[in-house]
Amino acid sequence: MPDLLLDIKGLETQFKTPEGVVHAVNGVSFGLKEGETLGVVGESGCGKSVTMLSVLGLIPSPPGKVVAGEAFFSGQDLLKMTNEEIRHVRGAQIGMIFQDPMTSLNPVLTIGRQLEEPLMLHIGMTKNQAQERAAELLSLVGIPKAKDRLGDYPHQYSGGMRQRVMIAMALSCSPQILIADEPTTALDVTIQAQIMELVKRLREELGMSIVWITHDLGVVAGIAHRVAVMYGGFIIEEASVNSLFANPSHPYTLGLLGSLPRVDEVEHGRLFSIEGQPPVLYQKPTTCPFAPRCKWVMERCWKENPMLEPISTEHQVACWVDTKTGRSR
Amino acid sequence: MNSQNTNQALLRVEDLKMHFPIYRGVLQRQVGAVHAVDGISFEVHRGETLGLVGESGCGKSTTGRAILQLYKPTAGNVIFDSVDLVSLKHEEMRKTRRKLQMIFQDPYASLNPRMTVYDIVAEPMMVHNTAVGKEIQERVEHLLELVNLNPAFASRYPHEFSGGQRQRIGIARALALQPSFIVCDEPISALDVSIQAQVVNLLEELQEQFNLTYLFIAHDLSMVRHISKRVAVMYLGVIMELADRDDLYHSPLHPYTQALLSAVPIPDPIADSRRRRVILEGDVPSPVNPPSGCRFRTRCPIAEKICAESRPDFREATPGHFVACHLAK
Repeated sequence: MPDLLLDIKGLETQFKTPEGVVHAVNGVSFGLKEGETLGVVGESGCGKSVTMLSVLGLIPSPPGKVVAGEAFFSGQDLLKMTNEEIRHVRGAQIGMIFQDPMTSLNPVLTIGRQLEEPLMLHIGMTKNQAQERAAELLSLVGIPKAKDRLGDYPHQYSGGMRQRVMIAMALSCSPQILIADEPTTALDVTIQAQIMELVKRLREELGMSIVWITHDLGVVAGIAHRVAVMYGGFIIEEASVNSLFANPSHPYTLGLLGSLPRVDEVEHGRLFSIEGQPPVLYQKPTTCPFAPRCKWVMERCWKENPMLEPISTEHQVACWVDTKTGRSR
Repeated sequence: MNSQNTNQALLRVEDLKMHFPIYRGVLQRQVGAVHAVDGISFEVHRGETLGLVGESGCGKSTTGRAILQLYKPTAGNVIFDSVDLVSLKHEEMRKTRRKLQMIFQDPYASLNPRMTVYDIVAEPMMVHNTAVGKEIQERVEHLLELVNLNPAFASRYPHEFSGGQRQRIGIARALALQPSFIVCDEPISALDVSIQAQVVNLLEELQEQFNLTYLFIAHDLSMVRHISKRVAVMYLGVIMELADRDDLYHSPLHPYTQALLSAVPIPDPIADSRRRRVILEGDVPSPVNPPSGCRFRTRCPIAEKICAESRPDFREATPGHFVACHLAK
């Protein structure tokens, strides 16, 4: 296996709530190679955001707690770092962008000030150097007349431009990894297309690795090299993007794809729908978390939780059933 | 719009305008107006679903609300079953409104948290005196069964339900008065992917069962393709194109429709990489001061001089296929 830039093993994160302990992430392991874009897909509450926030030490504690696991980044375990140490990794070596650009930007500080801050903090630039670099970054992400717009406040930018600013900020210290948590969900499709185009261009220019978290399988198909599908705090299927879409093997992945109408073809009759709802996990699942909604469910699914097993060189799935034949694997 | 058979039109919108005044200063003088909807005409045929798509701020929701007279239109007519709703007095409109209902986007905000499900679904019948006593109870139970909710849950409050279940409660409420026309204002955008298909399938089943006519407002072009018979595309308060579903998706005539369709991600990496993508520059201009001539000309890849000079007519390019563009064939 080639060297992994980020290597996460057995990550478990829990939240204490008045109703009980919620087991949000239940043993997630994956690696990120250099220059690779990994798409992490799943519905709300599947643990996709919590996984990445745990790795970055951004889980509010209490109520949250990373109870197990390792996350190696250039030989160091991020989960064992002190707050001070991980603060230097975040922003400098690992950049982040979030879903809502309006709430991620400080409304009372100018765009320029917010861009300059990490440069002075992490790289130790002077005010003037930082200003110059901030203007460069804004034009890198395609904001016209960048220099003149440094003095603007976030509300003077449109939603798409704010997301560009977030990207500029995340890239300001030339990180090796960019973590993008639903960065286009709040945007219109034409703006989403602009942002995806921008990220693809920057990925080539800067040669960084990306973890792109989304609920949208269409977005993943357009941007990721490899995809991890999450459900109930587990990765239930992981494959190269072509293999996943050509040969989806977990009943949940199949269900998700079937429930999506496509803009480029007409399907007849009703959409395939997955009955029921995603679980809220007050106990760590010991059986397959998808079993209650699965139409392939067998006796074994109620007894043991399947682990990820390879079905080809670039495809792993956690399911007792071979969905092609309907029989046990 | 001559070629459309007017007999089958349940609803006809004629040159509808909805301007929201902007007041400024101590004297609160009107200094301008938001041209949210600016002269649109279309028909919705009995028993069909007309999809109304566009990006945020294009006026699609305002159109839905102006049809139901939740806003008093600035100009134009809304003819429902050969009655002009705009000319109706308040009390007459209130009576007519039982035939026209609405399903809202946010299932969290559109249900009163202090009312039980029973009260929510029963309220329209009590307000309009369509049922009394025991009848109401039977009807509520029936309605809840129709939307696949357990009538035993009628005494619960909205917070005890998931997003998809809440949307079902909203649908039951909309059906309480046996309407013939329902405006579905982004009914699935707030829901998870696997739940979206459940709600869309339910809407389709109910349409068949009760011969309902829908105006389906959405920004998700894939879902609109699935559910609609005909589709209208809006941009900055104006309908740019209207056609039969397959016609519109196969051979879009307007450059905006073409760009919009090409921006929608497809959950298929191979098909996705083969597509020609039109990336629109910039953002949607402000509806306070929309561009002269064609609204889309500032972002249009093929705009010419004439586009700034005169507003293109909404003409019938091929039978049933309407487009507002000077240059479209």
